[in-house]
Amino acid sequence: MDSKFLEINMGPQHPSTHGVLNLKLSLDNEVVVKVEPNLGYLHRGMEKLWENRTYAQVVPFTDRLDYFCAISNNLGYVLAVEKLMGLEIPKRAQYIRVILTEIQRIVNHIGWLGFVTNDAGAYYTINFYTFEEREEYLEIFEEYVGARLTINAIRIGGVPFDIDDKLISMIEKALVETEKKIKDIDKIVTRNRIWLHRTKGVGVFSAEDAVQFGLTGPALRASGVKWDIRKDIPYSSYDEFDFDVPTGTAGDIYDRYLVRVEEIKQSMRIIRQAIKNLPSGEIAAKVPKVLKIPEGEIFHSIEAPKGELGFYIKSNGTDKPERVKMKSPSFINMQSLESMCKGNMLADVVVILGSLDVLLGEIDK
Amino acid sequence: MNIDIDTIIFDVLIPVIKIIVMILFPMIMVMVMLWVERRGIAFLQERLGPNRVGFQGILQPIADTIKMLFKEDIIQRQSDKLIFNIAPVVVLATSLLAFCFIPVGMTMSIGSYNLTFWVAESPVGLLITLGISSLSVLGIVFAGWASNSKYSLLGGLRSVVQLLSYEIPIGLTVLTVVLASGSMNFIDIVNKQNEMGIWFAFMMPVSCVVFWIAAMAECNRSPFDIVEADSELVAGFHTEYSGIKFGYFFMAEYAHMVLVSSLMVVFFFGGGLPIFPNVEFLWFLHYIPGFVWYFIKIMFFLYLFVWIRGTFPRYRFDGLIRLVWKWLVPLSLLNLIVVAIIRMIV
Amino acid sequence: MIIKFLRMFFLVEMIQGMLVTLKYTFSRKATIQYPEEVKQPSERFRGIVRLHRGEDGGPLCIACKICQRTCPQNCFDIEGAKDESGKMRPVRFDWNLERCSFCGLCAEACPTGAIRNSKEFRLSTPDRSKLMFHLSEMYSDYDLQKHFLGEKI
Repeated sequence: MDSKFLEINMGPQHPSTHGVLNLKLSLDNEVVVKVEPNLGYLHRGMEKLWENRTYAQVVPFTDRLDYFCAISNNLGYVLAVEKLMGLEIPKRAQYIRVILTEIQRIVNHIGWLGFVTNDAGAYYTINFYTFEEREEYLEIFEEYVGARLTINAIRIGGVPFDIDDKLISMIEKALVETEKKIKDIDKIVTRNRIWLHRTKGVGVFSAEDAVQFGLTGPALRASGVKWDIRKDIPYSSYDEFDFDVPTGTAGDIYDRYLVRVEEIKQSMRIIRQAIKNLPSGEIAAKVPKVLKIPEGEIFHSIEAPKGELGFYIKSNGTDKPERVKMKSPSFINMQSLESMCKGNMLADVVVILGSLDVLLGEIDK
Repeated sequence: MNIDIDTIIFDVLIPVIKIIVMILFPMIMVMVMLWVERRGIAFLQERLGPNRVGFQGILQPIADTIKMLFKEDIIQRQSDKLIFNIAPVVVLATSLLAFCFIPVGMTMSIGSYNLTFWVAESPVGLLITLGISSLSVLGIVFAGWASNSKYSLLGGLRSVVQLLSYEIPIGLTVLTVVLASGSMNFIDIVNKQNEMGIWFAFMMPVSCVVFWIAAMAECNRSPFDIVEADSELVAGFHTEYSGIKFGYFFMAEYAHMVLVSSLMVVFFFGGGLPIFPNVEFLWFLHYIPGFVWYFIKIMFFLYLFVWIRGTFPRYRFDGLIRLVWKWLVPLSLLNLIVVAIIRMIV
Repeated sequence: MIIKFLRMFFLVEMIQGMLVTLKYTFSRKATIQYPEEVKQPSERFRGIVRLHRGEDGGPLCIACKICQRTCPQNCFDIEGAKDESGKMRPVRFDWNLERCSFCGLCAEACPTGAIRNSKEFRLSTPDRSKLMFHLSEMYSDYDLQKHFLGEKI
């Protein structure tokens, strides 16, 4: 430890470390010299726990990883299992999954908008506006499957319920409301000089660095790398939808903000297309009650709202997985925190951490 | 010695009552502001805010105060205890002391006696008030140092940086007011606006806005609340304070807001004057007493504080310095020159 | 350039932002005043798990223990025995609310529809032992609020 620098233990009890994260900061006055994330405060031994659960029983646990977007976790795990089984999923189930995960993406991004402005010091106002919007989507989830946060909405082989007209009208209403809200937030934030001052040129990450550090998700795209698994390695019928992958140029927090707002709009486009072209048919494939998967291993990744979410599953022929390894986007994104923060000020650390959109449930597992 | 009843009433009793009222006034305004802030910011955020204690939550400040009084008063073992205990008192006392020159209304004639709405009158009241109100930074630095916590220390250091920035535009804009009115006495400033028949805000809008921005920085309010900065410094200089000592800081912040709003009203919005005091057909406005006008005006500015807090993110402190030194200082200097030239001609 | 400067100088975007928040000041408030207003849960709401009786009033549960096997959290501990008519019925049905994660898998797996999620979401109690449910307390006609809060309500 160099006594020249001021050492600060930021967290785990701190208002804006997004859960229980401990950052060991070394400050030269207020300029950050070193950032050392200290993880493990929310470790629940998820991966070991899954080895003692059947394949179907794991799904509710995946809710608790990234509890802000549970369905994406469900989908990531379930798709990996289905790929291992070689199971063909009915088209209607795939479309319903797309609708649900894209709603989840909107929920995550719009919630992020509230959090990050809050980190930048906007006293909860935008946070409340966005959470009001999030509430509408949570109500859709409640209507669809009966739970709001840890919703366990995807089953191996399909989805548990069908989407009816009432739900579709709810979704359409919520999308219109969100468009209005985004416009209002845009008026408050996008050209605001304080917001520009806090975000432009802060936490800059070049495209090469981003690839080197394995940054994923909107933060990667903000650096100018056009990589979206939905587009590049399509899963769950994403190749049938027409949408753009927004990218930034500067790779700073402002671009991450713009990319996420644009992704909300693209998600709306996908949801509208999916509702319009919703095929008829079954909502779940036939899956045996006691699911035994032949020996083998698989890695499958999806584009979760926070980045590339991968599941590695090794099967030993029984009804329980021998090993499940999760590649969580938050954990990967956390690595680049130090290089982003170096040379910036203490106040920026909070906003940069917020802009990476990390969630401790996913990091510590 | 010849003491008659008039002397006792007019020279002793009424001044004492005035002093008590002027100490109570900021305190009551703190209570009112607590409610206004919590409800106002809740309304901005599409929610209702506290509405259970009393009618529409009007007794919420009292409940909060009682809660604060009964909370444990924690003094850090490693803190510098004397300074730690003095700091909240310094902050609150300076905020309250600065009120003694503020005219909270116009002179009111009751019979042959002219009732004035200020505690003291001084030809240099403006300087004293600005001086005293700047002293509260001392208390903040005390608190930041004595807490022996890194977050508090950073908060205290930031407050000094902040002081070095906002004091200059405040001084320069107040100078334009002094130039325009030709006096450093608050009462004369208000009377000058009455004479000219126009508030200084309409004469010198640039001074008005610059003063407001710098004043927001002076009372550590969002978007310049870098001293407290709850998302990065936890609570800044008062991180380690609890109970009523935290309450002192809290009251001081709100009293400071009331003070700054009062200065704004006196300098630029005619103190206790009605709008357009010399226009003939608005004669009925003069029947509203001066202190009511004053109250309405400071409530507007206090609400503006809340409104701004509920809308904008926070400046980083280098942003504040850049804003002040690159924009506000040149602007207010230019403004000062323009006002001086116009003053010379007219 | 000049327009940009003027927009900046006259704080245009700041005022715009403040007008938006002013608009919301007068908008409808989202707050639900809880004890007076209760938000109705949806049709499929996954509240606390309850056992249901058949149309004849007899229990639907056949103590097949599928729920016990399905539950990811091991909430259930069931013991069945044949009753006088020769049907399997639960004699012991322990269900632990402390462990339940409200995933709804047990209700989906139940072959007779005996176990279902109710719409009850008020599950707080000062007494921890109340979180362990036994057979008689599992039925849907059992008064949960009385169970959790005692006679106080």
